[in-house]
Amino acid sequence: MPRSVLITGAGVISAIGTSKGETFRSLTEERSGVSFLSVLRTEHSDLPCGEVQMSNEEISEALGVGGGIASRAALLGIWAAKEALIQAGLLIDGGMDPSGRRVAFINATTVGGMDITEKHWLEYLEGREGSSRLVPLHDCRGCTMQIADYFGGFSYISTVSTACSSAANAIIMAASLILSGNFDIVVAGGTESLTRYHLNGFNSLMILDSERCRPFDASRAGLNLGEGAGYLVLESSDSAAGRGASVLAELSGWGNACDAFHQTASSDDGEGAFRAMEEALSSAGLTPVDIGYINAHGTGTPNNDASESAALRRVFGDEVPPVSSTKAYTGHTTSASGGIEAVICLLALENQFLPVNLGFSEAFEGGIVPVTGSEVSAPLKHVLCNSFGFGGNDSSLLISAVGDYGPGSAVRGVSGSLRSSLPSFRMGPSLFGRGRTTIDTPDSTPGIATGIYILSASQISAQEPLSEDWIDNPEIPEGKYVRAKDPQWRDHLNPMLSRRMGMLMKRTLVTSLAAMDAAGNRQPDAIITGTGLGCMESTERFLRKMLTEGESLLSPTDFMQSTHNTLSSLIAIQTGNHGYNCTWSHGNMSFESALVDAVVRMRLGQTGTALVGCHDECTPDTFKVLENAGLTDGLNVPCSEGSAALLISSGTGVAPEGALCGIAGLTVLENPTDTQLKETVGLLSAKDGGFDLVMTGENGRNARAYDRVLDMIGVGGTFRYKALFGESMAASALGTYAAAKLIARGQARNVLLVNQFEGKTWSFTLLKTLAR
Amino acid sequence: MEELKNELKLKIIDVLNLVDLKAEDIVDDAPLFGDLGLGLDSIDALELILLMEKDYGIKLKDASEGKAIFQSINVMADYIMKNRTR
Repeated sequence: MPRSVLITGAGVISAIGTSKGETFRSLTEERSGVSFLSVLRTEHSDLPCGEVQMSNEEISEALGVGGGIASRAALLGIWAAKEALIQAGLLIDGGMDPSGRRVAFINATTVGGMDITEKHWLEYLEGREGSSRLVPLHDCRGCTMQIADYFGGFSYISTVSTACSSAANAIIMAASLILSGNFDIVVAGGTESLTRYHLNGFNSLMILDSERCRPFDASRAGLNLGEGAGYLVLESSDSAAGRGASVLAELSGWGNACDAFHQTASSDDGEGAFRAMEEALSSAGLTPVDIGYINAHGTGTPNNDASESAALRRVFGDEVPPVSSTKAYTGHTTSASGGIEAVICLLALENQFLPVNLGFSEAFEGGIVPVTGSEVSAPLKHVLCNSFGFGGNDSSLLISAVGDYGPGSAVRGVSGSLRSSLPSFRMGPSLFGRGRTTIDTPDSTPGIATGIYILSASQISAQEPLSEDWIDNPEIPEGKYVRAKDPQWRDHLNPMLSRRMGMLMKRTLVTSLAAMDAAGNRQPDAIITGTGLGCMESTERFLRKMLTEGESLLSPTDFMQSTHNTLSSLIAIQTGNHGYNCTWSHGNMSFESALVDAVVRMRLGQTGTALVGCHDECTPDTFKVLENAGLTDGLNVPCSEGSAALLISSGTGVAPEGALCGIAGLTVLENPTDTQLKETVGLLSAKDGGFDLVMTGENGRNARAYDRVLDMIGVGGTFRYKALFGESMAASALGTYAAAKLIARGQARNVLLVNQFEGKTWSFTLLKTLAR
Repeated sequence: MEELKNELKLKIIDVLNLVDLKAEDIVDDAPLFGDLGLGLDSIDALELILLMEKDYGIKLKDASEGKAIFQSINVMADYIMKNRTR
């Protein structure tokens, strides 16, 4: 079990610099990067932003990204990740050299490839040529994969999208993957580029300042958007010591909590922020007096700064340590801000200085007085970094200075309560090899999380309801495009409550409440959601209006709902759940990413019960765009949509009463060799009686990829779950729903679910009967 | 004025998708926001600001100005009468 999570590399790009050195100089010279836009073309030339003063062509050329079009967020991401990997000594000749270590990449973005989409959306709808190459760059995974492919060598890749706290949550996931022993090194952080789409979105919420933002000042009137990327290389102490890596600092604590108050506003008392900071402190085994500096979220909106001040006072009382927001330098870089500001915290530790809070002259009533001078009064040892997102997704990272971690030197970790409370489970290294995101269910040992169970499941899809004998008499939907069969919403939702909710929000809420109610638990410890594309209905309406009618009079409701974590936040807000909340947006692997998050947290003893779901919709326009781009060619199932929610729990050897099945194995492989695939299939076949049914995500178009593993499996019974549910980013979640119910009814004992992406990313989920 | 009030009610029902309400259900001097009124929230307020700009040519610079204007149908109609440019 790794003892601590160390930081061995960091990289940053933003309006105040294209490296750590430049960023440091801008901060110490108190030079803001907020100015009028010159790269992004928009009608809002009067809105100041923190823009990276390089065109895409200039960035591409400097990076040697030849020919292919990449989203600006991907380019900025590559830029910053490169600096981080070079510093960590992991980049040899431009490619990643993990030197035998298991390396994962957890990226964060919300904008993803929207810069490309907003340029070409109307052409996509008309069916112009070239869209087959561009459309896949739109989603968050598209952005992540462009960055991952530039370096190569990652054995697990996924994407967080929780709006403005995304990068902080990516870093939290990285820490979990290291502490669980799954990975030696995780590159984590986030990237975001300025787009007309979200500039107009924030404008519709009336929270942009037409002058440079003034965080914590009495006259503050809103935020300025920014762009950039920031990444950390996080590493286990064993790995860092083993290869003699220079250690920059330790990620000593972290916390995530949901404010569960409103989709775009923070509560007056900052409940979510308070809980996130408290959790970060307690997980590090530190107390408020240990903190020497806080990099606040401090957006400069009246609401955020008042709420954050209240939360700071609740944690720190009258002794609030030096606090500053650096958003008047960089602008609010949304999904990247947690990464960029974590790097700024590292710079503060390394150089023992406090970033001055630009734009402050007078405190407001109840507001904190931020840092106005850069000198530290006592040596900085521990700094806190806050990132808060829409839906009240609040995260806090604690970064601590360390001594020398060179070879032979003792690792001086902070003895935290989180680490000391970790259950000493076995990950079964002999069963699952290196470089896999593998969750194994080890032998029963009383008192620790040994089993993971699906307690209940609910869905809305083209199959509503799913017949009980689907395995023998499946009702196969026909046509190229089939929509989900929705229930009468009135039977499930108060019309006043759901008046503004788009279709996907209603489906998400109804399936989630049904899953929780079936298990009699409306307060799971965590709400972890997958969505490949989020609420496309809202996204499309906003886009179409912006592109055809111009950049004014756009609906704040549409913008708010188009943020991916709206779904996960909705569940938390409606049930008052302040627990861990995260959204994974990684294409057709979004559900598996959410499941990995839940299961890793359970194995670390951080979460006992979790609502895990995946929700995606295919609107008529989405279908048209996919069809025009040729992305539906060769499909032998309809394009469809759906929502599935599962309540899962960890148990202590005895299955909870009424549980549908157990999750006996979960393996995700990135770019595996035939040998690795064979080995995985072999291990799963040998485990607990193997499986009597294989369910795959085959859809005709990807049949060859599946043939590769089905030949290895060689089991008689296979079923294509997309024949029931159609093709959608939520299909594997719906397949898991179907399999769990099948096992619970005794129609199958053990089911292996196989999902893949482009023959490169593979997931294997083994569900097991609980019957003797 | 009565005509404007009725028009406003229909528009609010449409824009905010208050599907269960009819114009006559909204009392002229009842609060629109908060638990005692229609239970509207800050995003609804932004949608109403949008409505005022789109249909009556009234542009608010600050979202907080909405609070005073959207007290009730009476107050809102009065404000629109005095400030409309279309």
